[in-house]
Amino acid sequence: MVGSRGQGNVWLLLLLAGAFIFAGMALIATARSPRADQWTSFAVWILCALGAASVLRWRLPSHDPLLLALPMFLSGWGLVAIERLAPAFADRQTLWLAISVLAMLGVAVFPQVLRWLRGYRYSLLAAALLLLGATIVLGRNPSGLDFAPRLWLGAGAFYFQPSEIMKVILVAFMASYLAEQNLTRRARNNEPTGLSLRLVGPILLMWLLSMVILVWQRDLGTAMLFFIVFLLLLYLSSGDPRLVLGGALLVLVAGVVAYQLFDVVQLRVDIWLDPWPEADGRAYQIVQSLMAFAAGGIAGTGVGMGSPGYIPVVHSDFVFAAIAEEWGLLGVIAILSSFGVLAWRGLGIALNHQGSAFHKLLAAGLTMTLLVQALMIMAGVLKLLPLTGVTLPFISYGGSSLFACHIMLGLLLRLSAGAR
Amino acid sequence: MNIELTIFLLRLLAGLSLVGFLLALFAVIWRQGVQHPAADRAGQGFLVREQPTLAEDELRCSLRPIVTLGRAAGNTVVINDDFASASHARIVLEGGRWWLEDRESRNGTQLNGETIHRRTILADGDEIGIGKYRYRLHLNQENMAS
Repeated sequence: MVGSRGQGNVWLLLLLAGAFIFAGMALIATARSPRADQWTSFAVWILCALGAASVLRWRLPSHDPLLLALPMFLSGWGLVAIERLAPAFADRQTLWLAISVLAMLGVAVFPQVLRWLRGYRYSLLAAALLLLGATIVLGRNPSGLDFAPRLWLGAGAFYFQPSEIMKVILVAFMASYLAEQNLTRRARNNEPTGLSLRLVGPILLMWLLSMVILVWQRDLGTAMLFFIVFLLLLYLSSGDPRLVLGGALLVLVAGVVAYQLFDVVQLRVDIWLDPWPEADGRAYQIVQSLMAFAAGGIAGTGVGMGSPGYIPVVHSDFVFAAIAEEWGLLGVIAILSSFGVLAWRGLGIALNHQGSAFHKLLAAGLTMTLLVQALMIMAGVLKLLPLTGVTLPFISYGGSSLFACHIMLGLLLRLSAGAR
Repeated sequence: MNIELTIFLLRLLAGLSLVGFLLALFAVIWRQGVQHPAADRAGQGFLVREQPTLAEDELRCSLRPIVTLGRAAGNTVVINDDFASASHARIVLEGGRWWLEDRESRNGTQLNGETIHRRTILADGDEIGIGKYRYRLHLNQENMAS
């Protein structure tokens, strides 16, 4: 909904983001022996940013430019962080960024995508469930370790995590299903909304699905994320707090039972309540993360000058702690503001689509998926919530996550331009 | 150039561009959302009466920050229908958005065919119904901050 006046800002924002990423890359080069490929990463980022901005301006002139500038800033920062923390993975991440940005443009530019998501929702859901089921049987972990969760499907050197793409399909499915139930109208006419199978059915189904993910895959984060977003969408479409309270109760029950039954849940809760007795053992990761935050201070130690390497697998789930250490409170505030503005713009799109329940719920659902995921991992790394292993959208290492986030972004860009 | 100076300059660039990015971001938001005086928006949207169709000059009404609809003569849009209350509904601009409010009318106000029960945000293309009257809302999307 931003006109020609808004478009000039995207170039300034991208320029400043580019300068920031350049400085980061150059600082890494001074801190250790430079790697030629890191400048390839930077070049790919520039191409992605300029290309995406130009294509969107050409094909989708009324899109919201902040929805491009902010994610490009975050994913560029992600490239710097991965180059710093795990240079062996940087090339792979760069390749994924290019693929993801292309996919984002495809989703944003072709108007049919929204119709497909709605028209073929059962087929898409079935395909996604099948893929998810396949991971239970054939799942692997790229690290090859036996105890690690097997969430990936692999073919040679190529790994993909179906639960990431499941997010997009599930949000689209929920949005179109709830849009058709027309809950608001029923609530106003005092028709019973609480107990009909059409409403309770999907709630139980979603709960079951989350449980399956949790039990078979030990993927606590994704299970939580799916269910929270589902409850938020349900509330948004019905305006009935009873449904949400009932759902929250189910989560609580599931949480208590899971705490008793599953080691992974018990571990996460125990080290959240008190990590210090086991600071050298099971709580090592979270304690090191807190140390990183403390070491960072206000301005940070400087790129390449901190020691975030003490945190195990820092480039993925704990990238926020590394950023807090090397970029300090300033960097943390920048990332929080970026996600905050992103969420605000995304929900603004939902407000502008009052006419179409599907578009409204889709915009809100996609925004909340990104936001809830970001909040879950940022709060987890800070020990505000039990740690749930999800990636920080756009920043963390992880191809499937980057891909899924950009698909969601593409849909939001499409909706921001008005999808009537 | 020695290495310490290079690192210092690069860190300076990193800090300045980061702060610059945040400032530019807030400038964009400020200019689009907060700063727009209400008067800026007047005349950027209009109502078109679609039913019943009558003389051409009665069909259009530009949106002002407050547009009142009702049967009484003082309203911005006078509705000559027995089902309309004297002060039936109003459209107000608040926080950069247009809102539809029912003013406790006897027969209610419809938005896209549904009776509204609280003030509701309006979007381009919405249909407002009062009695047998139907109004279509046209907003100038280009200049509306999202």
